[in-house]
Amino acid sequence: MKKYLKYIYLFAFITVAYILLPVMNADYLYTIQDNNVFINGHTFMMDTVQHEGGWGTWIACYLTQFFYYPWLGSTILILIWVAIYWITIGMFEISNKWSFLALIIPVLLLYHLLDYGYWIYYAKAPAFPFVPTIMVIFCLLFVWGGMSITRTWIVSWSLKGLFIIGMLAIIIVIYNWLCPSTPWHFNYNFRNSIKTTLTDKNFKHELKMYRALDEFRFEDVLKEMPTDQEATPTNLMVLYKNIALMHTGQMDKMFETNNCGINPNNPSDSLKIRTSLLGAPLIYYMFGQMNYSYRWAMENSVQYGLSFRSLKMMTRTALFNQEFEVAAKYIAMLKSSTFHRKWALEHEAWMMNSTHFIQSQEYQTLAPLLNEEANVLDGDDGLCEQFLLEYFSDLDRANTPLLETVTLCMSLWAKDYYAYCVHFYDYVNHHPNNPIPALYQEGAILLGNAEESPITLNQFKFDDFVANKYNSFVQDYHQLQQQELDEKEIGKRLKPLYGNTYWWYYYFYNDFNIY
Amino acid sequence: MKLKNIVSIVTITVLLVSCGQRPSVPTDATMESRLPKIYPDYTEVTIPVNICPLNFAVQEGETETVARFTFPGGEYVYGEGQKVLIDEEQWKEILEATQGKEIKVEVFAKINGAWKGYQPFNIYVAEDSIDEYISYRAIQPSYVAYEKLSINQRNITNFEEKEIYNNMSVSTEGVGQCINCHSYKNFKTDNMLFHMRQGFGGTMIVTNGELKKIDLKTDETLSAGVYPSWHPTHNYIAFSTNKTGQSFHTKDLNKIEVQDTESDLILYDVDKNEVSIISELDDELEVFPTWSPDGKKLYFCSAHFEYNNDSIEKSAEMIQRFKEVKYSLYSVDFNPDTKEFNNVEMVYDAASDSINQSVTLPRVSPDGRYLLFAQAEFGCFHVWHADADIYMMDMMTKEVQKLDPVNSDRSESYPSWSSNGRWIMVDSRRDDGNYTRPYIAYFDKQGKAHKAFMLPQKDPNYYTFYLRSFNRPEFMIEPVKITPQEFAKKAKEDAVPAKYADQ
Repeated sequence: MKKYLKYIYLFAFITVAYILLPVMNADYLYTIQDNNVFINGHTFMMDTVQHEGGWGTWIACYLTQFFYYPWLGSTILILIWVAIYWITIGMFEISNKWSFLALIIPVLLLYHLLDYGYWIYYAKAPAFPFVPTIMVIFCLLFVWGGMSITRTWIVSWSLKGLFIIGMLAIIIVIYNWLCPSTPWHFNYNFRNSIKTTLTDKNFKHELKMYRALDEFRFEDVLKEMPTDQEATPTNLMVLYKNIALMHTGQMDKMFETNNCGINPNNPSDSLKIRTSLLGAPLIYYMFGQMNYSYRWAMENSVQYGLSFRSLKMMTRTALFNQEFEVAAKYIAMLKSSTFHRKWALEHEAWMMNSTHFIQSQEYQTLAPLLNEEANVLDGDDGLCEQFLLEYFSDLDRANTPLLETVTLCMSLWAKDYYAYCVHFYDYVNHHPNNPIPALYQEGAILLGNAEESPITLNQFKFDDFVANKYNSFVQDYHQLQQQELDEKEIGKRLKPLYGNTYWWYYYFYNDFNIY
Repeated sequence: MKLKNIVSIVTITVLLVSCGQRPSVPTDATMESRLPKIYPDYTEVTIPVNICPLNFAVQEGETETVARFTFPGGEYVYGEGQKVLIDEEQWKEILEATQGKEIKVEVFAKINGAWKGYQPFNIYVAEDSIDEYISYRAIQPSYVAYEKLSINQRNITNFEEKEIYNNMSVSTEGVGQCINCHSYKNFKTDNMLFHMRQGFGGTMIVTNGELKKIDLKTDETLSAGVYPSWHPTHNYIAFSTNKTGQSFHTKDLNKIEVQDTESDLILYDVDKNEVSIISELDDELEVFPTWSPDGKKLYFCSAHFEYNNDSIEKSAEMIQRFKEVKYSLYSVDFNPDTKEFNNVEMVYDAASDSINQSVTLPRVSPDGRYLLFAQAEFGCFHVWHADADIYMMDMMTKEVQKLDPVNSDRSESYPSWSSNGRWIMVDSRRDDGNYTRPYIAYFDKQGKAHKAFMLPQKDPNYYTFYLRSFNRPEFMIEPVKITPQEFAKKAKEDAVPAKYADQ
């Protein structure tokens, strides 16, 4: 049995690694590769190798792209860890009994990969899943080579060690001499994020929802949103969900599907989680805001490194803006990648043939949101959600049915009664013979009678079931108030009956922290 | 068989194979009556006698390409896949033999197995040389964010490029550093400067080869020095001081507006470390100072702008009225000995009702005869204005003309002159509308500009895969001698505060 111990330890490690990587965290790995980039060619190579740890980074960038298929990328990584295990055993002549010690480095590397959580968006070091692994194997091979060279030397072990370390130091000095402006920085901070990666359900939902949204699989976005009334989704999940509702013609159901987002669980004070980085380019794109989408894809690629994700967003927005030359530039880069080539070829075909583009799902979905007349010179101060809420609430030229819906829903979402009343008034006048969706009636009943309302909405005939429900809400609310319960408790008690109404959202959701 | 024999056979085989791969002009090509699509576009351009090879790619689909260069001393044929990569030594030979004459270029492309020939074009070789070096800031065309920035110098007689300074050598994860506005005195580098913001902020000034780090912000001035211009004869630098903001268009493809809510002009006396005011008028936004070659006039741009809404911040009002900001061109006389400025004159009233435009970035030719500037409908940041073009004023006749050969339907900005006044360099976004690239145009003795060409690179596809802009391209007759390490060391030191000299 003892002689098989080293195989048993290895098998156990491989099993755990597979469970923790592609089985449990496939979306996490996919997102990492999406935030990474590897462009075949001289320019990218030279740009990468002239920075610290350049060649290692370049190789790591190449390998990271294989996480496009999480099982494939994981297998490559695990194979290298297996090599590290065997080299360590061979180098230090570790016996079977103690061979588990050779797993210390692979286990730390696995931990390192899983310790990113939300840091996957903020990590400035490119290709971080593979860089430490490549560096470790380089060092091991270097030391192994040094040991082989010095084996026959009749000097003490300490002198041999000094020789090996000296050689490594010389390499670093030569490197710094060749690349003076990018000296080596040695640092590693524990991010305390492994809990986020492994257990934070919202984090996992966000990863899945982003990908589904990116691929225009709106039903999958909605499936990913927890329906349980007690669930506490993040603001970002609410935003993704509402985008999916918007593009499936159900935006007026936004308050029936848990619209009360919370801040994400942030394990570290040094991490400032921002929607602008987590998803702003895609969110703006889904709202037809091509310039702002392009801007954030560019800003994020500058601040946190170029990525396939940014390149794709910049391509898409350039196509919509008919900036074909710049789109061609990004497409040329994506075409040279291994796994995004197909995407690039598809978009190149759209660029070459506008009919194909106009017939595409992307164009058909987003075209109703492109309000060419509505240029605004402004800024979002990094708060994408707030900008969109204000922009659409204030939009006074909703020239498509979808834009009408969006302006109404966004002003309700923002609790901007003034804007809502104006939009509601316009909506009813534009569609005199159409039934008014229940949500709009809920909003109008509540806000139209407010003292500050710019338009009195009393003259509108609301459906009986909406009016009755509102009356019963008011009655129940007053009753609970008379019991001198605090607002939080009242909200809790009213939630089972009215949690899916705009009124409940309006009165009891007051923790709307935009990040 | 002996090892020696094996080596000989392998060597001969390799040589034969490589000889066999040398391109030759196809004899069976069918001729097209149009110019070939090549990138960069070097058709019918005039080039300096000392420029690096004009490598290009043929964009006629997936092709094999051959190009024959015929010049007075003979001909050379090149072609590697879609690229035409010219041997550097042969190129020097071509230029030497063609000085004042033209090179005829015939391009052939193999499409679907059949060779096509295209209408030949000429490359004219001027007798005038160009300054050996240019420098520029390599920056992504981002909006607010910045991370890796460098000021680079490129020897344009070959392909050698080096960093002058890279902000990452002092930046940390938490504190970044933005670098900008490099400038040289009389095209030489013993007197030069660039500015750093945020971490380790200050202005790096090299004077007679000595490096200093100065804090140009005083209590009496708006900001540290921003847009600089070295005085040609004395150790003075004119700067603008600016309070700048950015805002973003939701639909307009110009995408960004960069606006000054306030701006003034200052003079920095390098030897005395003193700052004094040149102009700080209340309702004027003065910016972009530039000296005449004799140093007796300072040209600058200024926009008259009166804020009229006290209920909102100036920056908000500026955003609302951004199209009203129009800069005209002025000059002011200067006495270098007394440092006195007087007699402000309107040089070009671009903001007038009849012209209704906005001029920026004036640059006077080394002989003082011509003045280049960028002009667009409004504003001061023409790199983001697609309608921006380069214009030229003849200082003798005061006549202004649009320099069509250097312009495109996209943004052109930041014009500069070579030291001999025969070459103009501009920043252009003609390629894709987003990334600025340096374009160089010949300016002949008759005052006529010729078709501009893109700065050549070793790999013709370089610009396709390069995601940074070439910002503020400037000519230099020599390289910067201070090393990046020396700049980085000085950057980490505290800046010496400049004194304010009340006049």
